[in-house]
Amino acid sequence: MSPATQHLVLWLIPGAPLVAALAIALLGKTVLHERSHWPCWLALATSMVCAILLVTKLVPSTFENADETVMGAMATGYSWLKVGTIDVRIDLRADAMSALMLTMVTSVSFLVSIFAAGYMHGDKGYPRFFGAVSLFVFSMVMLVLSANFLQLFIFWELVGLCSYLLIGFWFQKPSAAAAAKKAFVVNRIGDMGLILGIFLIWDTFGSMDFSKVLFDADNLSLIAQDHPTRMIAICFLLLVGAMGKSAQFPLHVWLPDAMEGPTPVSALIHAATMVTAGVYLVARSTPLFMYAPQAQVFISCIGATTALVAALIALTQTDLKRVLAYSTVSQLGYMFMALGVGAAGAELATAGATAGMFHLVTHGVFKALLFLSAGSVMHSMGDVIDMRRFSGLRKVIPVTHWTFLCGAGALAGVPLLAGFWSKDEILAVLHEAGHHSEKYGTIFTAVYWIATFTALLTAFYTFRAYFMTFWGPERTPPEAGHHPHDAPPAMAWPLRILAIGALTVGAAVAVTHLFAHYFEHTPGFTPIEQHVFHIGLMVQSGLIALFGIAVAWFMYVKNPGLPAKVSQGANFLYDLSSRKFFLDEIFTAILVMPLRGLAHLCFLFDTHVIDRIVDGVGALPRLLSAAPRLLQTGYVSNYALMMWVGALACMGYMLGLFHQ
Amino acid sequence: MATAIEQLTNGVHFLAPELILVVTVCVMFLTGPFFVTEAGVGAPGLRKRWGALALVAIGCAGFVWWTSDAARPLDTGPFRADALTWYVRGLTLALGAIISIILVDQIDDGHSAESQACLLAILVGVNLTALANDLVVLFLALELVSVPTYVLLYLPRRGEANQEAAIKYMLLSIFSSAIVLYGMSMLYGAAGTTNLAGIAEKFADGMPEDSTTLIRLSVAMLIAGLSFRLGAVPFHFYAPDVFQGIPSAAAAMLSYVPKVVGFVALLRLLPLVGGLGVAEAVDGPSARILLAALAIATMTIGNLLAFRQDNLYRLMAYSSVAHAGYMMIGLVVEGGNDDVSGVGALLFYLATYGLITIGVFALFAGISSEKSPVRVVSDLAGMSRIHPAVALALAVCLFSLTGLPPTVGMLGKLNLFFASWGEGTTLGRSLAIVLAANAAISAWYYLRIIGVMFFDSAPAGEPAKLTLAPAVAGALCSIASILLFIAPQFLWEAAVKFVP
Repeated sequence: MSPATQHLVLWLIPGAPLVAALAIALLGKTVLHERSHWPCWLALATSMVCAILLVTKLVPSTFENADETVMGAMATGYSWLKVGTIDVRIDLRADAMSALMLTMVTSVSFLVSIFAAGYMHGDKGYPRFFGAVSLFVFSMVMLVLSANFLQLFIFWELVGLCSYLLIGFWFQKPSAAAAAKKAFVVNRIGDMGLILGIFLIWDTFGSMDFSKVLFDADNLSLIAQDHPTRMIAICFLLLVGAMGKSAQFPLHVWLPDAMEGPTPVSALIHAATMVTAGVYLVARSTPLFMYAPQAQVFISCIGATTALVAALIALTQTDLKRVLAYSTVSQLGYMFMALGVGAAGAELATAGATAGMFHLVTHGVFKALLFLSAGSVMHSMGDVIDMRRFSGLRKVIPVTHWTFLCGAGALAGVPLLAGFWSKDEILAVLHEAGHHSEKYGTIFTAVYWIATFTALLTAFYTFRAYFMTFWGPERTPPEAGHHPHDAPPAMAWPLRILAIGALTVGAAVAVTHLFAHYFEHTPGFTPIEQHVFHIGLMVQSGLIALFGIAVAWFMYVKNPGLPAKVSQGANFLYDLSSRKFFLDEIFTAILVMPLRGLAHLCFLFDTHVIDRIVDGVGALPRLLSAAPRLLQTGYVSNYALMMWVGALACMGYMLGLFHQ
Repeated sequence: MATAIEQLTNGVHFLAPELILVVTVCVMFLTGPFFVTEAGVGAPGLRKRWGALALVAIGCAGFVWWTSDAARPLDTGPFRADALTWYVRGLTLALGAIISIILVDQIDDGHSAESQACLLAILVGVNLTALANDLVVLFLALELVSVPTYVLLYLPRRGEANQEAAIKYMLLSIFSSAIVLYGMSMLYGAAGTTNLAGIAEKFADGMPEDSTTLIRLSVAMLIAGLSFRLGAVPFHFYAPDVFQGIPSAAAAMLSYVPKVVGFVALLRLLPLVGGLGVAEAVDGPSARILLAALAIATMTIGNLLAFRQDNLYRLMAYSSVAHAGYMMIGLVVEGGNDDVSGVGALLFYLATYGLITIGVFALFAGISSEKSPVRVVSDLAGMSRIHPAVALALAVCLFSLTGLPPTVGMLGKLNLFFASWGEGTTLGRSLAIVLAANAAISAWYYLRIIGVMFFDSAPAGEPAKLTLAPAVAGALCSIASILLFIAPQFLWEAAVKFVP
């Protein structure tokens, strides 16, 4: 492909959604109205086609004759800020890792946007919704296509802004407004870490370009020798940023609340794409993290904690979307676990990142499917999402039932479905890390067992939600009306396509090691010698998944009275889980209350000190002019006098009157 | 040695943009009276035609400017075109066009010819200031800005407040001009020539011993006199009173044009007497320290006084004072070796500030009408529901004035900050800190306006109708301030081309 075509293809990926966002912003209210989805659809389809071209044509062509400085497909943009020694460029750069992620992002976005046209039909903010979604996709692909850390940060903030706008889409609802605020505030903590990390990178490396910071191995090892503690600081700061965006414990609290946004938004932003930006950042920065094994171990531990805590909370949630939200947090924890194994040895880093990114892609597909199915349930139940208020829906909404089942199977890790393969890779790499590393072996073994246990919990809570919703006696809430209807075509087709993806994408890509072979071309990673299947582990995790499903079936279909008895028997534990380990309350006590106190102090300081000063200064000109006013009556002469005094002072100074 | 007349004749081709404007001014002044009745009433819509003529003239001048060669300095003679001239010409014409658009609907049909002509004459004055290579020409150019300004302020004749503002400005402006003239005459006395290049040549090997006092006095007077135009403390007292009494087109002009000529004149004069940068010896009183003190006083007092203003025009007047203070930093600092130069940062800021402040006044003009004028902050209540697009554009401009992303105002402040911090001296770093602190203070009163627009409920009754032309012009300014944030490079390169 000629360089010009390459530029065009790369620029079209973010360009098309941006144009759509502008078009909808300008014309949405006046011209497009209910047709506002068209620009969005067209743009996202264009992006998707270009991303597929990128992943199949452009990036593979760089594998053979890799350009030393770029190592990927590059589209030059322009120099944004060139001030003195600072030179920040806006360029697009795609390598194996970003191309794979882009393919997932654009195709899921496209399907979600089709679904949304059906789901959001008749909403007052229809154009606003599609405008914001287009803007989000633009920001997200620009984030993935960034060639330097500052550009990444800009679009990191912009996706955060879109997320904020879309969580609060129904801003009339107080809960939605509060959730948007919470997401905004919690994310600022993470972003603070990220921007400090980027400043430190700039200070240490004198550049923010990936090519200089990440891919220049000689320079990197040189700098790591000179500043070992700095490398650790950089990695931890980047990690804080990633934890905020990817909702890792204890910064995960915003994500479940973010479900206040429209369901397609939950599917797109808060499950498939934006929340994985943190995973992408850490995977992208693997060359840096290799010099900070402490940070890597920490990543795995944080991932394990998050996965376990979120899975435990998900056990008792009764809101279908919240179950899925906690499962998203939990699965993101899985990805983090895999990203940390580099600490056990450099040869494992590639395998870990591959497993993490593979899970990111498969998770994007099946979690988007689950959310959209949940949205479809919500749609037919008249916006009721509490699982205690409906049951036995498998006959009422058959399409939704089947697609949800596919997604649930993939998430639970039913053998041969998408989640099975990617989760298995993670377990395998953790298992190997446990055996491999002398220093951190125990930790990784513990993480491995936590991951295995979480897999069991995952299978259980996923199918708990499935059985509660679709099995049992047929009940619908009054809000649903007399004849609840299944998804209309615009919603059904994206569900079917995603369901096929959830069934096949893992098997198709994992069996042949297609993903791993492609991924290892990412600069900064060493190719893996040989790929093996871990048959024993596969059998084990398959059995675990089936056991979890069986328990869920036993409790919620066979003996529907059992869950109530269990929750009574283990009252405290049940409370702990259903109240989310009291994390919100703890946060309020240790963060929100002191901050409120501080804010109040500031307010007092403002009213009593600053305002007094301001009043004083405001009176100063009046005071200064008070004396002349006694002699002269007109304001003009008053001002002229002041000017003359000023001029005299200037002259006095220049003549040295105020000098010794 | 060619005579002055010959030099002028030779210079005609590079005065072309100004000549186009001057010819239009003559046409407007001479034919204007024939279109109005004896009572001074013009046909309805006449103001639109004069406005269009002014825009066409500016457009033609702009075309000539665009096709002219940017860097072709002409040595001696009364005029000299260089990179600064090119830059200032571009700014003047582009922003002058916007002021002209605002002006159209702010003047009655009977006085529109004179008003537009005055505006064009002011633009010529600005360009000639940047072209001047002689003290006499420089002074005449400065007066070519001032005299039409008096008329422009007086012409709307909207009651006593307007007339008071016009008279006040005129008297104080004349006073400041007198101080500048004093300074210039002393400089002439010390150098023996009025030609700027000649003065530079004379002082090239150091200041003459016998006239040190004279030169020092002249520097003090030039800074004091021109500070009136910048709106620097303590020469700023006129600003709030005058702004309060005049329509928004005049306010837009007044918040910007005098600053351009003030800074350009200082940039031309100060290097002659070693008043820019760190080159000057630190011991003994230096213009650098004087300017730094003025800059700090100006931005701090401007911001603190803007804090409590309820009248939007007084608030914007103090805001323009504060911004003058920021820009004066650019005169003081030289910048580090490979960092931003102070003058470059100043010129960049000048362009962006002009764009934003004129945008704000254009938007005020757009939502203001005779029946429901927008003069105080509470007049903007609920604007996000009445005119959402205008409210959004105004919010972007206010963001830009504060210096927040994603607007060019942030880059302007960032450049000044880099220039002063990168210099590495105590003075530079202190200025950078004061700048940052002031930017933070200013956020309070700018964001308060946004709060009123978006969160307060609109007053009952018929909302004001939108005046389309200025509203669109203002919206374009706000869009430009975002676009310049995304792609600032060409403006930046044009700004740093000039090295005094």
